[in-house]
Amino acid sequence: MAKRTPGEKTENITTKAKELPKVAAGIAGLDDVLYGGFPAGRTTLISGGPGTGKTVCGMEFLYRSAVNGEPGIFVTFEERAEAVRRNTLTLGWDLASLEKRGKLFLFGAHVDPQAAISGDFNVKGLLAIMEGKAKSMGARRIVIDAVDVLMRIFNDPMRERNELYALNDWLNDHEMTAVLTVKTSAGGDIMPRYEFLDYMADCVIQLDHRVVEQVSTRRMRVIKYRGSSYMHKEHPFVITDNGVNIIPIMTVGLQHKALGAKVSAGHPRLDAMLDGGYRRASCVLLSGTPGTGKTTLANVFVVAACERGEKVLYINFEESEEAIVSGMLSPGIDLRPALRDGKLRLMAAAPEVMGAEEHLFQALRAIEAFQPDHVVVDAMSSCRRMGTEQAAYEYLIRLTNACKEKGLTMILTNQTAGFQNEHEITGMEISSIIDTVVFLRFIDIGGEINRMLMIMKSRGQKSSNQYREFVITDKGIDVLDVYVGGGGVLTGAARQEQEASEALEARRKRVEIELREHEIKQKRAALEAEIARRRAELETAEAELKALQLEEGVVQESRDIRGKIRGEDANSLRLKTGGQKRKGRGAGRKEGTK
Amino acid sequence: MNQSDRKAETKGTEAQGETYILRLFMVDDEPNSRQARENLERLQQTYLKRPHKKEIVDVLEDFQTALENNVLVTPCLILVSPLPKVTVFGNLNDTKRVVAALRLT
Repeated sequence: MAKRTPGEKTENITTKAKELPKVAAGIAGLDDVLYGGFPAGRTTLISGGPGTGKTVCGMEFLYRSAVNGEPGIFVTFEERAEAVRRNTLTLGWDLASLEKRGKLFLFGAHVDPQAAISGDFNVKGLLAIMEGKAKSMGARRIVIDAVDVLMRIFNDPMRERNELYALNDWLNDHEMTAVLTVKTSAGGDIMPRYEFLDYMADCVIQLDHRVVEQVSTRRMRVIKYRGSSYMHKEHPFVITDNGVNIIPIMTVGLQHKALGAKVSAGHPRLDAMLDGGYRRASCVLLSGTPGTGKTTLANVFVVAACERGEKVLYINFEESEEAIVSGMLSPGIDLRPALRDGKLRLMAAAPEVMGAEEHLFQALRAIEAFQPDHVVVDAMSSCRRMGTEQAAYEYLIRLTNACKEKGLTMILTNQTAGFQNEHEITGMEISSIIDTVVFLRFIDIGGEINRMLMIMKSRGQKSSNQYREFVITDKGIDVLDVYVGGGGVLTGAARQEQEASEALEARRKRVEIELREHEIKQKRAALEAEIARRRAELETAEAELKALQLEEGVVQESRDIRGKIRGEDANSLRLKTGGQKRKGRGAGRKEGTK
Repeated sequence: MNQSDRKAETKGTEAQGETYILRLFMVDDEPNSRQARENLERLQQTYLKRPHKKEIVDVLEDFQTALENNVLVTPCLILVSPLPKVTVFGNLNDTKRVVAALRLT
């Protein structure tokens, strides 16, 4: 269906000037996807299941047109005009006033379900009304919503087809820029009897609303656009308090700004390791196991930036605003002045409350409104909870791209699972867009657990490749001298080469020690498991013995009782058993089993 | 409101209770519309003895009335009065059905 016609240009924004005349859809992002808008004077079909946003798309087109002085007609077979007016008020659209000014006409075309049918008929009535209204208003734009409902009265695929062609002919003859909406079945496929609509229309857009892992996502896709190129792919969209917002998936890295000047990471020694700091318009990843100080390191940067008078947008998926502000006070980082001065804006949201595109939309809107210099996302590992890994990936890629296009520095924190997974530091295959990686970890040597910091990657700048001890105090952070394992400091530049090999050796040794430690830990665990198993065996044997003893006690007791019942005559027997009892338990048992 | 191009004709006198009002929406040169008009005339003569009023609206000339009556298809006959309102789509060639729908039996 999405086959290209021979004349179609390859997907390239620069070809749009040569294309057929278009009318801006007025829907955020849609004009980008359609390279300009709906085809002027032609029919666009929007199909989708119930609740996918077809009506609101059509309405927004006419609403934006009307606000800009271009009159339009909205015909709906599904809702009453009053319901449409009321529903759109929640989007802040005052249709009634546009109607009064003759810029909009709402026609709640109700098909009487009780009408009797006798012989042939056609849609001339509707065409006459549209023609009359279009002429009197000077309208060139029309939306026909839920055209499938009108077609039901024909109750015959052939007749439906003829009537839809008649409708389309009328629209074309009058050069109306038209949007038809039609319902599809739940599966997303257009119902077979309306399949020809795809061929009839010049532009076909499919909407989809699905729930993946409890998170709802809306997608739109252009199926075809006669005589024009368009962005292929599925584009996420959201319906917010100001209408439909489509977030086009752009080609990655198309308009990225070059990496900018150095910007302090918030601590002089860290800056020294980074040859001056992070770079503007770069994407910095702070990665590490839980508790290593990723958030602290991010906030050191935030406070420093805000003190310089720069603005930071902090997107937090982990904690509330209060929690992060008070949490940062303990390492002596006070975010309150920056918040008070409006230099810092905290956006806290649980990843699972909405879909990835909604999160993306909120973030992009905040960037647009707040115009920050830097954006922090804490933590990108939480983004997985937005739904699928794919959704999280798209969110991060597109947010990062947006930041790079605007030349904003982006700081991402990422939580890794453990030592074994050092290589997952960048996670989710986004390593290509990450410029700098700062890796944090705990290291356990000489009975102490210390935080270590290392620059693992830094595009476009020199950086130290050594592990440093990273300390969090109540007065912020500190980065100590090069760590060499046994204590002592490497200094001087003369023995650089030798030092480098020593550092390498030291690192190799540390890894070895760690491996050994791990091995011993495992051996100890195995030993302990073995001890526990043996102990359990012993306990089982003891328990069995106890049970037997108890049983024997009961047998002896009942024997005594029997003896008592038999009275004086059994005296000799009682004496006999008494004697046996004195002989020992084994003999007694032997007697009992006879 | 637009000027009305309704061609109205009234038969008999308005003596007995509510006036019987029929409104036919059509497009002048269309075969189905022409048929509907002829069928309705025959129907009037055979079944409609009491006084009544018939209005014929050409939707192309008077879309406003079509709009007010929510007429999407043509031909379309509406029994306006007495209530309840009745709508019949089509060329009215099924006399039995039309007569039943219009409560003329």
